[in-house]
Amino acid sequence: MAKITLKVNGEQRSAEVEDRTLLANFLRDELKLTGTHVGCDTSQCGACTVHVDGRAVKSCTMLAAQAEGCEVVTIEGLAKNGKLHPAQAAFTECHALQCGFCTPGMIMTTAALIKEHPQPTDEQIIHGLEGNLCRCTGYLNIVKAVKHAAELQKAK
Amino acid sequence: MDTHHSHLFEVGGAKLARLEDLRLIKGEGRYAADWALPNQAHAAFLRSDRAHAKILSVNTDAARKAKGVLAVLTGEDAVKAGYVKPLSMLTFAGKDGRKASIPERPVLAHGRVRFVGDLVALVIAETALQAQDATELIEVDYEDLPAVVSPRATLEPGAPQLHDNVPGNLCFEQEAGDAAAVEAAFAKAAHVTKLRLDVTRVAPNPMEPRACAVAFDAASGKFTVHSPVQGINMMRMQLAAYTGVADDKIEVIARDVGGGFGQRSIGYPEYVALMLGAKTLGRPVKWVSSRSEGFLSDSHGRANYIDGELALDKDGSFLGMRIDWIADLGAYLHPAGPVSPMRNPVTCLNGVYKTQALYGRWRVALTNTVPVSAYRGAARPEIAFAIERLVDEAAAQMKIDPAEIRRRNFIPADAFPYKTPTGSVYDIADFHGVLDKAMKLADVAGFPKRRAESEKRGMIRGLGFSTVIENSGAGMFPKDEIRLEVHADGSITAYSVSHSQGQGHETTFAQIIGDGLGIPAERIRLRQGIGEQGLIGNHTGGSRTIVGAGTVCSIAAKKLIETATPLAAEQLGVEPSQVAYGHGEFKSTASNRKITLGELAAKKPLVVTGEGKFGSTFPNGCHVAEIEIDPQTGVTEVVAYVTVDDCGTVINHTIVEGQMHGAVAQGWGQIFGENIVYDPETGQMLSGSFMDYTMPKAGWIKDITIAEHTTFGTISPLGVKGMGESGCTASLAALTNAMMNALRPLGVPPLDMPLTAHKVWQAITAAKKGK
Repeated sequence: MAKITLKVNGEQRSAEVEDRTLLANFLRDELKLTGTHVGCDTSQCGACTVHVDGRAVKSCTMLAAQAEGCEVVTIEGLAKNGKLHPAQAAFTECHALQCGFCTPGMIMTTAALIKEHPQPTDEQIIHGLEGNLCRCTGYLNIVKAVKHAAELQKAK
Repeated sequence: MDTHHSHLFEVGGAKLARLEDLRLIKGEGRYAADWALPNQAHAAFLRSDRAHAKILSVNTDAARKAKGVLAVLTGEDAVKAGYVKPLSMLTFAGKDGRKASIPERPVLAHGRVRFVGDLVALVIAETALQAQDATELIEVDYEDLPAVVSPRATLEPGAPQLHDNVPGNLCFEQEAGDAAAVEAAFAKAAHVTKLRLDVTRVAPNPMEPRACAVAFDAASGKFTVHSPVQGINMMRMQLAAYTGVADDKIEVIARDVGGGFGQRSIGYPEYVALMLGAKTLGRPVKWVSSRSEGFLSDSHGRANYIDGELALDKDGSFLGMRIDWIADLGAYLHPAGPVSPMRNPVTCLNGVYKTQALYGRWRVALTNTVPVSAYRGAARPEIAFAIERLVDEAAAQMKIDPAEIRRRNFIPADAFPYKTPTGSVYDIADFHGVLDKAMKLADVAGFPKRRAESEKRGMIRGLGFSTVIENSGAGMFPKDEIRLEVHADGSITAYSVSHSQGQGHETTFAQIIGDGLGIPAERIRLRQGIGEQGLIGNHTGGSRTIVGAGTVCSIAAKKLIETATPLAAEQLGVEPSQVAYGHGEFKSTASNRKITLGELAAKKPLVVTGEGKFGSTFPNGCHVAEIEIDPQTGVTEVVAYVTVDDCGTVINHTIVEGQMHGAVAQGWGQIFGENIVYDPETGQMLSGSFMDYTMPKAGWIKDITIAEHTTFGTISPLGVKGMGESGCTASLAALTNAMMNALRPLGVPPLDMPLTAHKVWQAITAAKKGK
């Protein structure tokens, strides 16, 4: 068993977890943050993407124990003071979600992407979304939403 | 009805494209794996690691003793419980009046396993990891049997036999059309085009893995089942049939469903085994599938293997068409699995054409593979693919322009309603108009110039299209119902049993009801998957929800006004004829007094149930694809894609476009990469993860031009026809025709999907060598 302490959505959390517990499962099962979704078991789909110390990370690719001392932000912690993050607003305004299952991961990826590239090119967007799968939208509106998110971020 | 604008709703400063979006973008959706039941235990399944084998023994001793393990169930328990016979909807008679041979399927395999992934045992433990660990302690003694995974080989004499009651692995055979008329047509034909038109096996792969949590209440004998559904009634009906438990003792509950595409409409054996587990253990049991398990056990789609022939006269008029169709259903039959390929292709066997002589033979085959069921379109894309590939090849062989050959054979706009040779009635369409609009948008006239320009760069360009029709609307339940409940604050809850898996019903239904009542859509909240309402209605499938439940939303709104009018009159102290309704309130025409719907509801519960039943509708359209191939690598880029569809009235353009994007992407995926591949010797799946299976990614599709060409449907008073699947139905043939348009001049023969870069490069190389 591993004892871990980390910050999740701004709140200090401590827990004892089985060594093999993935960060994704820790967030979902222990902290009940079920907005982080698990869509595969080979780290391809990106539905479980969260921010670890400001970077987008697939939370199924790291152990909870590896997040010791880290600052983790999940989809539940993205909106601030009741205000949607530009990536969240852009996804609904562009109809970039249908079933919504890949959406939290897509939004977390987008939020990190527009931070790194405030004016992303098509190529940067496509490269940035390489690790996120969606089965509903055909990605057209998702690519649009990333651009729109960048605009909303700039306008902020 | 306001049908010409996309709808954006203001909520808390954000412009919501859909009413369901807010919770989903905040991570507040609730999917199947998110349910946590009090005191729940966790389940894992042991699955067969071989394609076909006798089970000699199953030793569960070590697993039972493992840490945290609460129960282990095997095939013997399934047989003892009598959970051996899934529902079959393949009840109609086939060739020579013979009915289908339906194999049994104990919910945990008994005596024999028949595909890699077949269920062998259920382990229930305190935690999911403990259950998973314990599955590895189960010792199964197998005696391997020869396996068959090819749908054509399985019907050959001497093939390994899967089930004792299914001789020759042939479950069912049917014919449709007029064989003699077709023979006569072919005898007098000036030209005959023959093609093999295999539509490969693919994985629907909605992004949410399957999951199921079951609770059993011993006192009432009632099961509560949380699982992803396309409609709770469809799920409950199958679970009840499998278990013999009465309908009213099974409550199915679902909220958000992470994609469906047909895969969610099945009462899977896993769910039934979990019912047995929960009952045995006396505690709720939850199982969450992994993606790897999903590849091995979620229903697959398509897997229809078709030989087609088209007979033409010297002018390119279609004289007759003959189809020989094998539907590979896998190792067992899912309840509705074989029904789609037996029914839908017959309904639209002539496509959009006035071909008079049609004949088809269909065979339902079993193989040692994952069971197959409906996948977005459910054999509609397959028949459209067959027809449109034949038409295009015939045009090329006869050197007739592919648009011209279609125009010569279209059912003309003045011929509707049109009774087809197989007995369908196409109510209304304008195929010429659809094609003309698509040709214009795709600038087909400018194509030769673009092709020449590509050639200068060493690239090969092709343009292809398809003009298709599909059946929607009609459902299997006796009617569709929508219940409206008015609250004291004037807001309304609408209840439906048709379940959205991403189609946006919460928005579309609210728009229809809001339009009917003259109140903002935001005031209406749709609740789906609430079994206690006891509503009758179809699941969401076959693109039918807008026709059934959608239309009934409008009927229910009218009924609400009718029901409330006398109540309002009473309150206002006037006659009902002296009351006028508008925008949520009733006004007395005799005085200035008024009362709102909410005020009426505050006095006495105000609840109405609207209902309706509708026949088949026929959405149709034309898709044009333009592609460019790099002959050095075989890599293809789709440089332009145009859709013109007639889905009748459009309620929400944004949602309709989104559906089109997604469906075209799935067709695109199938043509350029998606494919479930089995090793022919061992029956092992070679494409069982997202590392091995080609899922479309961002950037594959750069743009789609979407337009509508509406004729208002006559089946629904709203004029709607349905559209969730048309993108799949049209895109398979449009993309393949574009590819063959590019490759044919090089001497490349018709290629089978998927048209991977490797296959295309090989074909180009072989053609060059052949010259």
